[in-house]
Amino acid sequence: MTNAVIVTGAGGVGKTTLSAAIGAETARTGRRTLVLTIDPAKRLADALGVEALGDEPTPMPNVDGLWAAMLDVSASWEAIIHRYADPEVGDRLLVNPYFRAIADRFPAAQAYAAGERMAEYLESHAYDMVVVDTPPSGGGIDFFRAPATTGDLVSGKLLKWLTGSHLPGRSLLYRFTAKPMLRIADTVLGGPMLSDVADFLLDLRTMYDALTTRSKTIERYLRAADTVIATTADPTPLHETHRFFRELGDIAIDPAAIVFNRALPSAWTADAERPIRGVDDPELRAVAKANLRAWGAEARRQGDAMKELSARYGVPLVAVPWTSPPPDSIDDLCDLVHGRGLFELLSS
Amino acid sequence: MAATTLTIVSGKGGTGKSAVAAALAIERARAGRSVLAIDMGGSPGLGTHLHRPGLSYDPIETRPGLWAMTMDRATALDEYLKLQLRVPQGAPTRQIAGALSVLADTAPGVREIISIGKPIYEVWRGVWDDVIVDAPSLGQLQSYLRAPATIRELVPTGNVRRQARELAATLSDPEVTSVVLVTTPAELPIRETGEAVDTLLEEALCPPPAVIVNRFLDPSGLDAASVGRLPEGSSVRGAAEMQVTMEAEQAGWRDALDHTATLPFLRGVLTPEEVAVRLADVLEATP
Repeated sequence: MTNAVIVTGAGGVGKTTLSAAIGAETARTGRRTLVLTIDPAKRLADALGVEALGDEPTPMPNVDGLWAAMLDVSASWEAIIHRYADPEVGDRLLVNPYFRAIADRFPAAQAYAAGERMAEYLESHAYDMVVVDTPPSGGGIDFFRAPATTGDLVSGKLLKWLTGSHLPGRSLLYRFTAKPMLRIADTVLGGPMLSDVADFLLDLRTMYDALTTRSKTIERYLRAADTVIATTADPTPLHETHRFFRELGDIAIDPAAIVFNRALPSAWTADAERPIRGVDDPELRAVAKANLRAWGAEARRQGDAMKELSARYGVPLVAVPWTSPPPDSIDDLCDLVHGRGLFELLSS
Repeated sequence: MAATTLTIVSGKGGTGKSAVAAALAIERARAGRSVLAIDMGGSPGLGTHLHRPGLSYDPIETRPGLWAMTMDRATALDEYLKLQLRVPQGAPTRQIAGALSVLADTAPGVREIISIGKPIYEVWRGVWDDVIVDAPSLGQLQSYLRAPATIRELVPTGNVRRQARELAATLSDPEVTSVVLVTTPAELPIRETGEAVDTLLEEALCPPPAVIVNRFLDPSGLDAASVGRLPEGSSVRGAAEMQVTMEAEQAGWRDALDHTATLPFLRGVLTPEEVAVRLADVLEATP
C-alpha cells in the first residue's frame, strides 16, 4: 500500500522545499519515496543532486530510495486525452486552440493534472510513499476541488446553454448554428468563435463518463492522503490558511498538520527585553541589541499568528525554523523536518 | 487635465505586491492626485492594506483622494457588454451576454480582456489622475497582456476584436501605462521576475517594466567579525547571525536584477495598513 502526503498552501511559503524535505527524510527511513514537485529552485535541485527534473520519476543521486518528478501540465493533459478519448476525437482536441488554452491556464486543469499523476503513481505500487507538492495557482483548497470543477467543464453545462439541449450530439450543432439569435450573437461578438467553442465542447463531452469516474477515484485518493498545510506569518498565506479551514466542509478533508515555515526562535522576543551579557564593547552591544529587538518583534508577530491558528482550528502545528541561507544539502533539508513531530502526525 | 495614467502592479506570489500597490496608491493620493486602486481579484490583499477588507465593485473612498474597488466578473462582463462592445440597438442582449459568458469560460483571451478591460475603461473615462491595478501574479499577467493578440488570431471580425485592438493600444502606450513587478531579494522570485522582464521586453506588449525589490533588510551595522564577539548560543548572537547571512544573501540576489526602487523589510507587529503606509513613506522619499 502506498501512502500519500499532500503539501498545500499559498505561493511562496516554501511548499516545494518542504515536500522535498519530507520526501528525503522518509527515504532515509528506508521507504521508497517519490516527490511529485512543481518547479524547484536551483539550490534545491543542487541539494537533491540533480541538474533538472523531468516529467518521469528520476532517482535522486544524493538520497537512496528517493525519486522526483516535475509536473508537466501540457504533457499530463495529452496523456489524459490519449487515455480517455477516442483516437479521432483525441487528435482533434490536441490541436484545438481552446483545449490548449484551458490546459495551459485553467487553474483547475493544472491541479487536476497533478491529482491524476498522483493517482497513477499510487496505483503503480512502485513506491511506499508519494509526496505531492501542489501547484501555485489552484493551490490551497482549490487543489481539492479541481476534480469537481473539471467535471463541470466536461459535463457539458456550457454546451447545454449553447444548444439548449440536454444531451447534445453532433447533429444538434447544425441546429445551433441555424439559431438566428445565436447567429446574431456570433456576428456581434466576432465569428466564428461560438461555433468553434461548441465544436470543442462537443468533443470534450465524449470523455465525460470516463473523466467523471476518474475524478471520483482521484477525490477518494485525495481524501485518503495526509494533508499538510504550509504557511508563514505573512498576511496572504495566513488568509489562504483561514480560507482553507472555512471551506473544509465542502471537500471532506481532515488536515493532519499545519506546518508553520520560517519560524523564528520564540526566545528572541523575551530575550530582546533583557540586558545583554558578555559583550564589553558598548557600541557592539547597542547594535546587536537593536538587531535582536527587530527580530524579536518579528518573532512575536509569528508567535501571535501561530497561537491564533492552533487555537482556532485545533489542528497540530509544527514549527519549521527559518534558515538563512536556505538549505543546500540533504542534511540541511532533512534537518528542516527531522525530530519536529511532523511524521508522528501522519497516518503512515 | 493630463491624461490618466495606468500602473499595473504584479509579482510572484508572496512578494507583497498588494502592499506595494496600496503604497503606490497612498503615495499618489498624498501628492494630491485622485486615484482609483483596483484589486483584480484573488487575494483580499489590497483591501486589507487600505483598511477596507471588503471592497466592492463600486469604488469607495478609503482616504482623501484614494478610491478602491475589487473586480467582480459578472458585473464586469455586464459592463463590458454595455459600455465597451457597443452592441447594436435591437440585438438580443440576453443571448449575447450568455454567449459571452460561455466564451469567457472557454475561449483563450476573452476572460482576460473583460478583466483588463475594466481598468482600461476607467483610464479612458478620464475622471481619475491615476488608476493603479493590483494585478494577478506573474504568470497570469502575461496571459492578460497577450490576450488582445490572442483575440486577433482567433476572431477575424466583430466587436470583441475591435475592442481588443483598442485595449492593446492603451496597454502599449508608454505615456499612459507602466508595469511594476514586485520581487523579494531571494532566488526564486528574482529568477522568475527576471524571466518575466525578458518576456515582456521581447513581446513588447507593454512599456518596459520597472522592478521594485521589496522586503530588503535595513543594514544593521553588524558583520561576521562582530558576530564572532557575541556570546555563543545566545539569542543576541542567533539574531545577529541571521541578520548577517540574510544581508549578504539579499544583496547578492537584489543586485542580480536591474531594479528601480528598494523597499524595506518591516519586521514586527504591524497591521497590513501600517505596512502600506510605511512603504508609502519610503516611496515618497524615493526620487
